[in-house]
Amino acid sequence: MPDVPAENDARANERTLVLAAQRGSSDAFAALVRLHERRAYAVARGITATHEDAEDAVQEGFLHAYRALARFRPEQAFGAWLYRIVANAALDIGRRRKVRDTDALPDTVALPFRDPAESDELRRRLGEGLAELTERQRAVLVLHDVEGFTHGEIGQMLGMPEGTARSDLHHARAALRRALSDLWSER
Amino acid sequence: MSPESRIGPDGRDDDLTRVLRAVYAAPADPTYWESLETKIMARIRGESDGWWLPLSGWGPIGLIAAGLALVFAGYTATHTREAEASLAYQMVMETPRTLPQQLAAAEEGAPAREATLRFVISP
Repeated sequence: MPDVPAENDARANERTLVLAAQRGSSDAFAALVRLHERRAYAVARGITATHEDAEDAVQEGFLHAYRALARFRPEQAFGAWLYRIVANAALDIGRRRKVRDTDALPDTVALPFRDPAESDELRRRLGEGLAELTERQRAVLVLHDVEGFTHGEIGQMLGMPEGTARSDLHHARAALRRALSDLWSER
Repeated sequence: MSPESRIGPDGRDDDLTRVLRAVYAAPADPTYWESLETKIMARIRGESDGWWLPLSGWGPIGLIAAGLALVFAGYTATHTREAEASLAYQMVMETPRTLPQQLAAAEEGAPAREATLRFVISP
C-alpha cells in the first residue's frame, strides 16, 4: 500500500516546482526533469523502436512541455500530463521512422537465461514476436508489464479508453506466447 | 534448465515480463540521467534565453538596408517632384494633341494666306 503522507508531500513539492517553473525558474524546471526523466524515458521506450529514439522523444517531450507550461493547470498531475506529451513525441518519431529495423533485439541485451544458445534463440524469437505486434500493442505491453502503468494511465497516455488498453494487452501477450510456442514445444 | 526460463503457451506471464524487462530496461548508470538532464536543460535554456540571438547578427545589415531605403526614398521623391514640374511645364507650353480640329486647321492655313498677301502687295 502506498505511503499516503509521503505521496501527498511529493505532490505538494511537485506543485511548488511547477508554479516556480511557470514563473520562469529554470532551476525548478530542471528539478521537474530530474523527477520525471526516468519514467518519461520508460514511456518513450515502450513506444519507440530504439534507445536513441526514446531519448529523442524524451528531449522533445520536455521541450514541448516547457513551451506549453503556461497552459498547464497546477491542480492536475504533472506526470500524467508530461507522459502524454512524451508519448505523442514518441509516436511522432515512430511515424517518421517508417522502417523499424531494430525489431530484432540487440545482441548486447542480456536476457535472464543460463544457456547462451537458448538466450540467442529466445532473443531472436522475441524480436520476431514483438515485430508481429502493432505499435500500440507493443507500447501497451511494455508500459504495463515492464513499467507497471495501470490500464487507465496507459489509456490516458496513448489517448484511448481503458478497455482498449486492457484488450490490447491481452492480444499482445497472446500473440507473443503464440510466437514463442514452438520454442516451448521443442523442449 | 529451470522451469521459469521457459516462455510459451503454458508459461507464466511473469517469465515474459522478466524477458521484456531485460530488453526494455532503462539505463542504470546515474551519469546517463545527469547527462540527459543537461541536454534537456541546454535545449530549454537555448530556447528561452537566446531566441533572439539568431536575429542579433542581422543588426548591422538591417541598419545598412534601412539607410539604403532612406536614400532611395529621397531620390525617388526628388525625382518625382522634378518629373511633375517638368510635366506641368510641358502641359502649359506645348500644344496639346487634343487641340480642336478647327483651330488646328486655321493655324495650318495662316502661313499660306500670309504668303499670298505678301505676293499681292509686293511691288
